[in-house]
Parts: sequence; C-alpha cells; structure tokens
Amino acid sequence: MQLVETLLNGLLVGGLYGLIGLGLSINFGTMRVVHLAHGDLIVLGAYFLVTVLVPAGIPPLLAAAIVVPALFALGWALQRFVVGRSLGRGVLPPLIVTFGISTVLQNVLLLGATADARTLQSPLASAGITLGGLTVPTVRLLDFAVGLACLGLLLLLLGRTALGRALRATSDDSETARLMAIDPRTMYAAAAGIAAATGGVAGVLLAATSTFYPTTGSEMLLVAFEVVVVGGLGSLTGTFLGGILLAMAQLLGARFFGPSYALVTGHLVVLGVLLFRPQGLLPRIAP
Amino acid sequence: MTAAGKRRVAIAAVLVLALVSCPAWGGSGARTLLILFAYNAALAQMWNLLAGYAGLVSFGQQLFVGVGGYTLAIGCERFGLGVWPAFALAPVVAAILAVPIGALTFRLKGGYFAVGSWIVAEVFRLLFGAWSFAGNATGMFIRPARSVDPWLLYYVAIGLLIGMVALVVATLRARPGLALMAIRDAEDAAASLGVHVWRVKLFAFVVAAAGTALASALLTVQTPFIQPNAAFSIQWSVAASFMVVVGGLGTVEGPLLGAAIYVVLQELLGANGAVHLIVLGAISVIVMLVAPRGLAGLARDRLGWTLFPVVRRPPARR
Repeated sequence: MQLVETLLNGLLVGGLYGLIGLGLSINFGTMRVVHLAHGDLIVLGAYFLVTVLVPAGIPPLLAAAIVVPALFALGWALQRFVVGRSLGRGVLPPLIVTFGISTVLQNVLLLGATADARTLQSPLASAGITLGGLTVPTVRLLDFAVGLACLGLLLLLLGRTALGRALRATSDDSETARLMAIDPRTMYAAAAGIAAATGGVAGVLLAATSTFYPTTGSEMLLVAFEVVVVGGLGSLTGTFLGGILLAMAQLLGARFFGPSYALVTGHLVVLGVLLFRPQGLLPRIAP
Repeated sequence: MTAAGKRRVAIAAVLVLALVSCPAWGGSGARTLLILFAYNAALAQMWNLLAGYAGLVSFGQQLFVGVGGYTLAIGCERFGLGVWPAFALAPVVAAILAVPIGALTFRLKGGYFAVGSWIVAEVFRLLFGAWSFAGNATGMFIRPARSVDPWLLYYVAIGLLIGMVALVVATLRARPGLALMAIRDAEDAAASLGVHVWRVKLFAFVVAAAGTALASALLTVQTPFIQPNAAFSIQWSVAASFMVVVGGLGTVEGPLLGAAIYVVLQELLGANGAVHLIVLGAISVIVMLVAPRGLAGLARDRLGWTLFPVVRRPPARR
C-alpha cells in the first residue's frame, strides 16, 4: 500500500516536472537551443508571485493570472533582443548567452529577495484528499491537473492552429518557411514567449507546492533537461511522460535509500536511459 | 627567425622573467594574486581546449575540480601520502575517470552535452556529500598542506601554468592540434577527411580533465580545505566560460587575458558575491553578442596581434 502511495505521489509530482520540461522542449523543438535560463524564469515567476503580487494584496488566483502573461512578455523580449542575436553561429553562442542570463537572474534574485526560503502561504498547502484509503496532498492533484491541461493546450495550439502550423514549419525548415512569408524571428520569439509562459504556470505551482530559493532555478533547469532527455527530444507528450518517470524514480529512491538519495536516484536513472536508450521514450528529433 | 617571432620570444621572456623573479619585487599580496591568476588561467586554458578547439561546451568541468581536490585530500588525510605525491596523483585519477564519463556523455550533442556533463558532476557532488570516508557534506581539512612553504607553492603554480600553456601550444602545432582545429571549424568535413572525431575529442576531454584536476589540487593545497558543495559547484563552469569567452575563444592568449580580468574583477567586487556574478554573467552575454571572438580575437582580427604561433594561414597566392 505504501508503495502504491509512493507511485501515486510520483505520478502527481511528475505532472509538475512534465510542465517544467515542456518549456525547454518547446524552445529546443523550434530553435534547437537549450535555454539554460528556463529554470530561472520559473523561479522568477514564483518570486514575482510571492514577493510582489501577493504582498500587494492581490488574491493568489488573480496574481497567478498576472504572472503568466508577464512571463510570456519577458520570454518574448529576451528572445527578440538577446538570445535571438546569438542564433545561427553554432552551438556555443546561445549556450553562453542563456547561461549568462541564468547567472544574472539568480544573483539579481539573491540581491533583491535575499537567500531566505520562500513559499506561497495558502490553505491549499496543508489540505489533503482521501482516495480509496490513500491520502494525497490537494496541491499535488492540482499540479498534475494543471500540468496535464497545459500539455493538452499546447498540443492543440501546435496541432490545430495557424500559429502552431507556422511554428512547426519553422522548426522543420526555417528557410522554406521564410519563403512562405513566415518570419523565423517572429516565430522564435513566439515560441520563447509560450515557453516562458509555461514556466510562469510552473512557477505559480512551485510556489504553492514547496519552498524555493534564488538558486532553485538551477535545480529546475536540471529537472527540465532530464525530463526532456528521458522523454525524447521534440515530443511534448514524451516530455510529460519523462516528468512522471523522473518523479517516480526520485520518490522511489527516497523511499528505498533515504530522502537524501532522491536526487541521485533520479540522475542515475536519467544517465541509465542515456546509456541504454539514448533517443528517449518518444523521440521526434535526432539529437 | 622572423621579426614577429623575435618579438614573441622577447615578450614571452619578459613575462616569464617577471613571474619567476616575483620574490624580488612582490610581497605576499602579489604572491597570492599570482597564484590565483595561475590557477584560474590553467582552468580556463583547459576549458578552452574543450570549447574552443574540440567543440565540446561543458558545464560539468567542476566534476574534475572536485575529483582533483578530493584526490589530494583523501590521499593526504586517509592514505598518509605526502602532499606532493597526492598532488601528482590528482591528474591521474581524473584522466582515468574521464574515459568512461566521456564515453557516456559524448552520446549527447551540443547543448545536451553541456547539461549532461553538469548532471554527472551533480551525481558526484551528492555522492561525496553522503560519503563519510570523504567527510560527508562538511568536508575535510588537509592538515599536511598547512606546512607547505607558500613560495614553493607559488613556483609550482607558475610552473604549472607555463607547462600547461606550452603543452597546449605544442599540441596545437602537432597533428592532434590540426585535427582539433579541423573539428572546431567543420566537424563533418573533418570526419570525411579521415579525422577520427570521437577519438580526438576523447583525447581533448582526458587532457582537460587531468589539467583541471591538477589546477584544482593546487588550489586545495593553498586553501587547505575541501567541501563537496563548493568543489563540485557550477560556479567553476561560470568562471571558466567567462574567462574563455571574454578573453577569446579558440586562442591561447584568450584564457590568460580572461583570467587576468576575472582575478581583477574578483578583487574589486568580492569573490562569489552576487554583484560579482551579475557582472560576470552580463559581460559574458555582451561579449558573446558584440565581439564573439573576445579580446584576443579582436586583437588578432583588427591588429594582427598573436602571442603564440599556433595560427595556420593558407599559403599566399602568387
């Protein structure tokens, strides 16, 4: 029964991990860029919520609705004015640029909000729901439901809308897309904005679920990266499944080897996937 | 010898003489700064070998910083080796470890290699934090290192830096260097001309691991304390990438210039303070966008200046 509880919790936490990975997956899928500041954008969203909006007396739900478009705008602007200028000159420039943005964001948060632990105070944090004899925290159910909803929305957006078609066309062949009057720079900025907006949703959930610090951004980046690698590059559904696998691995590791081994177990499972199935669960793009 | 060659030898001779004669003109302040410079320049030189020549952008070199430091610490404290035998062991352990790790992480390309190697370093950070033999998360003092004469340490640091630069220059002028530069410029074309890309990359990875561990062991003799969260910290990769990008990627002068700037900034703004790191991050971004070849690249492109004779030019047309 305890094992079932661990697996159920893994599934639910996995929804949040999947959501964290979706942003990185969208960035890589359209631009072939590993956006190293993605984790810090998530944490920035969480700080914006907890240290600016909520203290200003805005109700958390409305505040969450402000964080997401704000993150979209930031992601769009960073791509348009900074990251976009580093594209097309090989692997290194976008890595150095996004790594630099990550360093700056983390330390600006450290200066502006101190190294103290933060979290969103809400009645949700301690509530639980009993399902057939198992008690799960309500907030984790919310994480999973919102993560799954975001995946569904993104699949609809990419699969069924004109913007989605244009994004996929740019991803497949940006030169030919340009001939069809699709400006790759506009598409890249839109993709980066959407990716950052998913980061905003993840940031709100992170704030509601656990404590966070300015350096949590690096942890979030590694989670996002591992989830994408396990899921298979370029597949959003694979990314989401990768999130569930990683969360289950971490919680099983914590259960069998002790809480301090949660992260190591997750990392080792990811390295194992790399060793035996380097293309991931549902690959779409050759790495 | 050409005029340019004579000028290079003169500049190099002046620099080496200035470093060797430091006890005559500098006190303990200059000594500490120069050790810091030598250590960082060696770290940057090794990161440049990977990113600037082998096309391997790694954010996991802190793995070999940690392994080098811990080899020294465990060798001295647990196996009773002297400071210098343990120091000499550090690059050997790192080089041996680099072979399987390279074989695993080379499955990843580009940005995925960069973060994949970071994850391997994280695994080591977490495992060393839980390993009681290595002092858990609290770390270890290296007591025998306290009695090392600081001027001896200084000469080891300077020797290490000069040796490492000489090694890089010699490698670049020889066959493996030609292969590395071919990979840097066009990996697929190099492979099609018979360069064994995987083997050459592994060679660079192993050399960089050994060099990084040696530099780290040097710092650990000076400190003399080691702790997993600091030794395996991502900040080493932040520092190394800053020094190489600002100084000039894919040049031998670049990491030296970058290390000098890094040490000056650290003295002005405080080591690992938030302001220091914001400045490092912002400068990296700006340099990458405005002058992607760094200071050494600017000097080479605009003024034709190079200090080390490793540039290959196509023969002039008649």
